Amino acid sequence: MSIRESNRQLRLRRTGRMPSDARVRHFDELSDDEKQLVAELAGRPRTAPETDTLEDGDVVKFTDYYLVRSR
Amino acid sequence: MSDSYVIIGDGIAGASAAETLREEAPDAEVTVLTDEGESLYNRILIKEYAKGKLPEAPISIHQEDWYDDHDVDLRLNTVVVDIDVDEDAVHTHEGETFEYDNLLLAIGGTPQQLPVENAEADGIHHFWTFQDARRIKESVEDAEQAVIVGAGLLGIDFAAICGAQDVEAKYLMRGDNWWRYALSEEGAEMMHEAMRERGIEPVFGSGVDRFEVDDDGHVEAAVDPNGERYECDFAGVAIGLNFNTELIEDTPLETDDGVVVDEFMRTNVDNVYAAGDITAFNDLVLGEQAKNGSWGSAKEQGTVAARNMIDYGSEEFRWVSSYSITHFDFPFLSFGHPTLGDDSVEATTADGEWRRVALKDGKVVGGVLIGDLSPQSAFKQLMREGRDISDHADHLMEPGFAVDDLPASPEQ
Ligand SMILES: Cc1cc2nc3c(=O)[nH]c(=O)nc-3n(C[C@H](O)[C@H](O)[C@H](O)COP(=O)(O)OP(=O)(O)OC[C@H]3O[C@@H](n4cnc5c(N)ncnc54)[C@H](O)[C@@H]3O)c2cc1C
Repeated sequence: MSIRESNRQLRLRRTGRMPSDARVRHFDELSDDEKQLVAELAGRPRTAPETDTLEDGDVVKFTDYYLVRSR
Repeated sequence: MSDSYVIIGDGIAGASAAETLREEAPDAEVTVLTDEGESLYNRILIKEYAKGKLPEAPISIHQEDWYDDHDVDLRLNTVVVDIDVDEDAVHTHEGETFEYDNLLLAIGGTPQQLPVENAEADGIHHFWTFQDARRIKESVEDAEQAVIVGAGLLGIDFAAICGAQDVEAKYLMRGDNWWRYALSEEGAEMMHEAMRERGIEPVFGSGVDRFEVDDDGHVEAAVDPNGERYECDFAGVAIGLNFNTELIEDTPLETDDGVVVDEFMRTNVDNVYAAGDITAFNDLVLGEQAKNGSWGSAKEQGTVAARNMIDYGSEEFRWVSSYSITHFDFPFLSFGHPTLGDDSVEATTADGEWRRVALKDGKVVGGVLIGDLSPQSAFKQLMREGRDISDHADHLMEPGFAVDDLPASPEQ
């Protein structure tokens, strides 16, 4: 994972509804750094710099379903 | 003439090899043969489908047009029945022959059946393919009581499916706790508690002696070795995998609970490679032959195998795998080889947080984290570096542990 050179910040929001076109990824598909990031952000009101592979609109299956927001 | 590559298996190992070959050998002829009726899908999300949490669509990874677009010849419903390494050819159940310059075996495993009476009855399920997941979902939705057997990483998926579908289940385990080879009772109890909260009752010192069936041949109970009878209309069995090595029994390919490969994923036959769950590989991190059974590792092995098929020796497989459980409110992650080692350290680091690290000759070889995953990168780093931490193992149990917290080794 590399941090993108942008000012965009990544957040994870718990989501109950799955957008039909969302890319859904299981936690185990992520790189070690992304795993670390998701474990830190999930369920917390925190942000982190955007990464190369977690895209706005992606859904990650961790302890719940989390929607990736990159703004 | 361009090189031809035949890949058996369109799971993540075979498919990532096909992708890499297409990218790095654009002129190569690539053929993928699979006995399944559908192209690559996300095997680690099919449990979410069976739980009723995900629809089918996001589980597909490669639609069939992906293969056309990438000029990969995909053959679905094609069982390879014979490999002729002298003629460089494989034969299918329909008598077709595919010749190759390089062959990749990415054939994974098949769930084992319990060697007990009525093990094949209706309502008794094993879990490997998307088709299995569809059958499981249909069956569990109609069920009221279930029995689960197999106290490991796949068994707990059955438990989570029953929990999500509001089916009460007895989880029959032979030992005193779930995944007893990797967790002590203290760590496992956190998992048991999470199961109980979802209506899954762990039963220890148990197992299955036989299944009983009704007049239609549908399972109606499991009887354990103590004579206890557990009524059920659904049973999930996840007691391990048989690696699909029967295909190569009459070949000179070396096997040892899988297909033996070196760190470049090459077998003892020069133009035959293997990748994914099927391999018994030279684990450069562990320093001995090992097996991995995880998505990330299978994907990486597929990529590495493809690169070495193009140019042998170009890339080693050096990897610390991990496997997580995401069914509960807290995370669980196992890494490396948590069931190996000659020593271990463990601790409850905070309420709801537990960790165990397995050591061999003073070096980290694997571990389990429950609740707090923050030290995962540090532990994996120690494992990759092969650092001897025998004098400082207790440091690993400190909340917020970082590799820099360890005193420098004498030679540094
Ligand atoms: C229910 C379930 C949940 C899992 N959860 C996780 C998880 O959370 N995290 C994780 O990291 N891992 C998980 N795993 C393990 C992970 O899915 C596997 O390690 C990985 O998918 C292995 O990939 P592979 O390509 O080596 O093998 P497979 O995916 O098994 O692919 C092998 C393919 O080869 C085909 N094949 C075999 N023999 C032949 C033949 N003779 N002719 C033609 N085709 C053949 C098979 O049908 C199959 O399609 C899970 C597995 C299952 C079943």
